[in-house]
Amino acid sequence: MKRLAAALLFLWLALGAAAVGAGELRPFTADSLTAIRHTFAGRPFILTLWSLTCHHCVKELQTLGRLARSERNLPLVIVSTDTPAEAPEIRAALKRFGLERFDTWVFVDAVPERLRYSIDPSWRGELPRSYLFDSAHRREAHSGMLSEAQLRNWLRQNRQAR
Amino acid sequence: MRWRTGRIGVLAMALLPLVAAAQQHAGHAPQADDAEARRQRAWEARLAEATPLSVGAALDSRGRLWLARVENRHLLVSHSTDGGRNFSSPVAVTPQPEAVMADAENRPKIAVGADGSVHVSWTQSLGKPMSAHIRYARSTDGGRTFTPPIILNDDRQIISHRFDSLAADGRGRVAVVWLDARSRTDRTVKKSPQTDVGLYAAVSEDGGATFGRNRKVADHSCQCCRTGLTWTASGPIAYWRHVFGRNIRDFAIAGLNGGPVLRVTDDAWEIDGCPHHGGGIAVDGRGNLHIAWFTNGEKRKGIFYRRIAGTDFSKADARLDMSAPLSLGDPARQAGHPAVAAAGDRILLTWREFDGQRFSAWAMLSRDAGTSWSAPQKLAEAAQQADYALPLIDAQQAWVVWNTAAEGLRVLTVAEGRP
Repeated sequence: MKRLAAALLFLWLALGAAAVGAGELRPFTADSLTAIRHTFAGRPFILTLWSLTCHHCVKELQTLGRLARSERNLPLVIVSTDTPAEAPEIRAALKRFGLERFDTWVFVDAVPERLRYSIDPSWRGELPRSYLFDSAHRREAHSGMLSEAQLRNWLRQNRQAR
Repeated sequence: MRWRTGRIGVLAMALLPLVAAAQQHAGHAPQADDAEARRQRAWEARLAEATPLSVGAALDSRGRLWLARVENRHLLVSHSTDGGRNFSSPVAVTPQPEAVMADAENRPKIAVGADGSVHVSWTQSLGKPMSAHIRYARSTDGGRTFTPPIILNDDRQIISHRFDSLAADGRGRVAVVWLDARSRTDRTVKKSPQTDVGLYAAVSEDGGATFGRNRKVADHSCQCCRTGLTWTASGPIAYWRHVFGRNIRDFAIAGLNGGPVLRVTDDAWEIDGCPHHGGGIAVDGRGNLHIAWFTNGEKRKGIFYRRIAGTDFSKADARLDMSAPLSLGDPARQAGHPAVAAAGDRILLTWREFDGQRFSAWAMLSRDAGTSWSAPQKLAEAAQQADYALPLIDAQQAWVVWNTAAEGLRVLTVAEGRP
């Protein structure tokens, strides 16, 4: 049963990734952060977590959208803590702020706390939540909105470091 | 086994909309003016699929356990005379199905007055995201029938009125408080850098037959943490996460009979975000307040308890005599969502922990009004999703009601220990 589950899990993730393609939502599971870090091996990136039910998150997306307009190669990964049932609305929100070209994910677990824990046991679910990974993938956690100035400052420092 | 099956099921459900969404996207770009309709549909889908796991519970003066829970978009009330082993057949409070919010910080509330009247309040989610009405119904025949539900927020706008709390004194007075966004649409209110959500109240002097006009208790509350309400000698006292200064999200109390907003926690949690994590309040037989809360502030992080010595909280110069914050639970296991109940000198604290895979329900009992406490007791574990642990206490019993997806509703007995 366990092996079957693992095989199915693999199949689903592989199919899921193939079916959705670039700019679409990918199912975020307990090992997705490892996959994301693999993609950004040796490079800094911003992981931002948000929800449709969070008032401040919309403002956070707005800020990221502004940043994305002037930063063509913004290393950004966007994870929604909502459910796949809300995929249309999640994509609409990202499109509204010009963020549809980024790597985007949605939580997939009947117990979302497990996914929160897999990212960071000390994260208590407050939103928005961001992690700034440097090129060695040492990360800086931030709860609440990040300002455009904070993000630009971080980008400047981490690009120089490279 | 159950866990694996659940996970595959979730993934199966997950894949279909993703593929469908991808196909739809490839077919044609959605029109901009479809956005509002799509938003609406997505929100309705969320409401229909939300697992209504959060329940309301109360003890009456005869030791009967009352339960309010949501099933198939109906709010159902039942009671148990044997400590939760058996429940009466549920009575529907909602004549028509509606979106009763019952997940995480949202749950139906139930209160039983000393006169036996049963009061229920809840948040009815509306078509637009985060919009809701505050609803109320009562029974004067021991829970056999309920009055048609009424809407308590008298502005009736399709905006956020959520996170209700309910208290009844059993001598004809019923109070409900909630978080209300009406100042957002009020042009007479000066815009401020703080939040535009506040705490509002409706009070009935005739046992819930009619309610007076809505009254604003405070401006600038946090937007999405549950509230609390308890009936003291100086009337009902509300408890909520407030926004102090520009953005410090600590807790406050205020009497509904007027009086100041009093700050009761000082953790310096400054966050431009949504904690989704409130606290609880109860009053003991001597008029002391007992509060429990979550914070992730500069000064302290985790869940805490403190006692506030009884005084007239409605006086403008009310001064607070508060015990030092007592840390609860294991921060490494995400101890969270604390609640408190009191009866005489008996105080019961509950919370939930999560070790990365499983939830557990915890309790701690005091029999000297919060001066000394039993060791923390782990009451049960849950294999899947779990509600918060709800404390119930009277002179004889201390129970914890815990609703869980895999194991169902459990009524757990808290060990009394040596007297």
